[in-house]
Amino acid sequence: VRSDLLVAMALLGLAASLAGAVTPPRTRVRLSVALTVAACGCGFALAADVLATGGSASVHTSRLVPLLGLALRLDPLGALFVAVTAGIGACAMVFRLGYRGHGLASRTASCVLPLFITTLLLVPTASAVGTFLFLWELMAVTSLLLVLADHRVRPEVQQAGQWYAVMTQFGASVLILALVLLATHAGSQSFALIALHGPHLSPWVRSMVFVLAVVGFGSKAGAVPLHVWLPRAHPEAPGPVSALMSAAMVNLGVYGIIRVGDTLLGGGPAWWWLLVMALGGLSALFGSLHSSTSTDLKRLLAYSTTDNIGLMLLGVGASGLFAATGHRPLAVVALVAALLHVVCHAVFKGSLFLSASSLQQATGLRDLDRLGGLVTRLPLSAPVFIVAGLAICALPPLCGFVSEWLLLQSLLHGLPSADTAIEVAMPLGVGVLALTGGLTAATFVKAIGVGLLGQPRSQDAGSAREVPASMWGGAGLLALLCVVFGVAPFLVLPAVVDAARSGLGYGAAHPLAQGWSVGLEGVGGLLAPGLLALGLVLAVSVAAGVRQMAQRGALRRTEAWGCGRENQTARMQYTATSFAEPLTRVFDDVLAPSHDLDVSHSAESRYYVESAAFHTTTHDAFERHAYRPLSAGLGWWGRLARRVPNGSVHRYLAFGLAALVVVLVAVG
Amino acid sequence: VGKGTFREIARRLGQRPARLGAPAAGEGAARAVARRNRGSLQLRQVDAGSCNGCELEIASCFSPIYDAERFGIRLEASPRHADGLLVTGPVTHNMADPLRKTYEAVPEPKVVVAVGDCARDCGVFRGAYGLAGAVSEVVPVDVEIPGCPPEPEAIIAALRSLSGR
Repeated sequence: VRSDLLVAMALLGLAASLAGAVTPPRTRVRLSVALTVAACGCGFALAADVLATGGSASVHTSRLVPLLGLALRLDPLGALFVAVTAGIGACAMVFRLGYRGHGLASRTASCVLPLFITTLLLVPTASAVGTFLFLWELMAVTSLLLVLADHRVRPEVQQAGQWYAVMTQFGASVLILALVLLATHAGSQSFALIALHGPHLSPWVRSMVFVLAVVGFGSKAGAVPLHVWLPRAHPEAPGPVSALMSAAMVNLGVYGIIRVGDTLLGGGPAWWWLLVMALGGLSALFGSLHSSTSTDLKRLLAYSTTDNIGLMLLGVGASGLFAATGHRPLAVVALVAALLHVVCHAVFKGSLFLSASSLQQATGLRDLDRLGGLVTRLPLSAPVFIVAGLAICALPPLCGFVSEWLLLQSLLHGLPSADTAIEVAMPLGVGVLALTGGLTAATFVKAIGVGLLGQPRSQDAGSAREVPASMWGGAGLLALLCVVFGVAPFLVLPAVVDAARSGLGYGAAHPLAQGWSVGLEGVGGLLAPGLLALGLVLAVSVAAGVRQMAQRGALRRTEAWGCGRENQTARMQYTATSFAEPLTRVFDDVLAPSHDLDVSHSAESRYYVESAAFHTTTHDAFERHAYRPLSAGLGWWGRLARRVPNGSVHRYLAFGLAALVVVLVAVG
Repeated sequence: VGKGTFREIARRLGQRPARLGAPAAGEGAARAVARRNRGSLQLRQVDAGSCNGCELEIASCFSPIYDAERFGIRLEASPRHADGLLVTGPVTHNMADPLRKTYEAVPEPKVVVAVGDCARDCGVFRGAYGLAGAVSEVVPVDVEIPGCPPEPEAIIAALRSLSGR
């Protein structure tokens, strides 16, 4: 039955893609959405079955892909990622029903979007190097086509597409190198056989494969310094696509690192995992810092994805480090925390990207400095954004809190250790987590406070209308899951523990969930999110009651106090830029803000100012100091190389002769 | 620095705040305000177009010599935190709206004190082209303090009738 479900999932996805390509425009969207949601349903049922009862599902065929065949096998680790993707995919497709514009209604996009979701669902099931790379490339190409969906209308999309194409192909080529190297040395391309031989390969090969895999998967995950495509591609992609990329696709980078590092290579020396932790810490800090100063809503969310990927990598790295130093229970807890954060991040970031697209559709704006006053104008989309925004700040009783609490616990409990690497890495990890948490809170105070509350800062924001039910419904479903997972993590924890066990090859004998609470086996520590939620609800209602009593209904609504100023406009409110200004100032070494003050004086006298314009931007240090020089250098090299073939036939003949001589000399 | 300077400093170090006697009981509205305020009066000062003479006298009310804060009277930075307004000067056209808005911003129940002859009836500026009128023509006034400018003793006495201390 399981293999049938796997096949049904793939076929339904392909059928959805076909339906998008051949049916007439009127039925195109609905039919492809229905079929894709069905495929996601199959995928979710399959993954849930694998997670609930253990075991695996496999399909092998030697026909579909030439030479390599297609080998699919779903184990609990992959099943967790399939389940996450299926949930996000279904919600994003429901959202797409009401989504207008951004070129997503075209035949190409309708055909490619289901294909993208199908490959996302299939990548974690791949069980051979060839299949994996084939599906991985298919995923990269389909996502690139979707990022470019709107390229005819907006030129900035083309630039984003170029960045994404280069980065994703760079990552893929590094991955090909890593996996082919691994398969060659292990003597097989099947994951099961590689996992048998992997731990016994020479340390050089193992380390080389791991480092290459971290680079390749890190570029897909958006880990710093390979993140540069993320803040460009995510904002320019259509809403459902950016949600899928941020909530489902980048997870697969984390999946790949766990798969290669823990399963195929069977763990490794401490420095591997310190490298992963360092990448994670850097991503978390850099991402949260940039998201706290971004004023473009989707760019802010994209940087926040880098931040959260960093937290997951921190957990994965800590888990590997614990395993390398023989702390097995801690390794399980850390990996569970990382995987739970994958689930939670998918849920809240999917919801945030979808509702940000709702805001964009309702107002036509992404610029926080021009939004505002939306909580009354979008009474359904705005609360969805707020709930997901509170979840990403890791506030109880929402899901981000549980996963970050687990991560913090696993880092803290590693402290009384005899190992120097752990003693240095863990406090730094805790510090990163703390600073990131603070910056994320500032980011979403800004996003919610400036973007949704207050008065509208522009006419477009003032005339916003609520979006169709499918849009706020798709985003709202994910926001609801934020609450459910936060209050009752025992619904999802056993599955996550299973996945971690299948990743590491050993695990906790009992699931971490104990009744209504989360307990940490082997290290101590207990959290009862349900009680916490109950306490919070009680405290809030008592506070509201006391306030009601104290006010006794005497509430006067007047204008905000503005020092008696006569023309008080919405432009005088706090903006995203002004809110982030202190942070920009504190971290100006990293953010390198550039200010541009343009003052034009009156013609009669320089003492009179006619107009003044102030412009401030922050720059991505990696893009500015690493990628720009690199791309300039490549351009220079290309121009230089262009001089060599100048059209002269004689020169080409001379090249041929020279090459022949070189070959003859080399062979002789 | 002469010999006299040190003598002056020594004299001032020995100087104590002026003795001002018991507070005068207010009349009518003021009495009700005093009873409600229980010895505390937070005021936001509004210069509605004054020559700043009254401001000088108000400033000296809060100097070490008169030290109005010992009677529970304080100047507030925001009308939102105030019990009332301390308005000086005739109300100019430009300040009429800000004065109304400031009055609006003070939470109920509130009290308005017009300080100086200009605030009471435009004083020497009566009939000038830039004026919207006296303070009472713009916002309701509860207590008036005559004088051009009124002396600190007079201001403090009027305010103490409101703070009740």
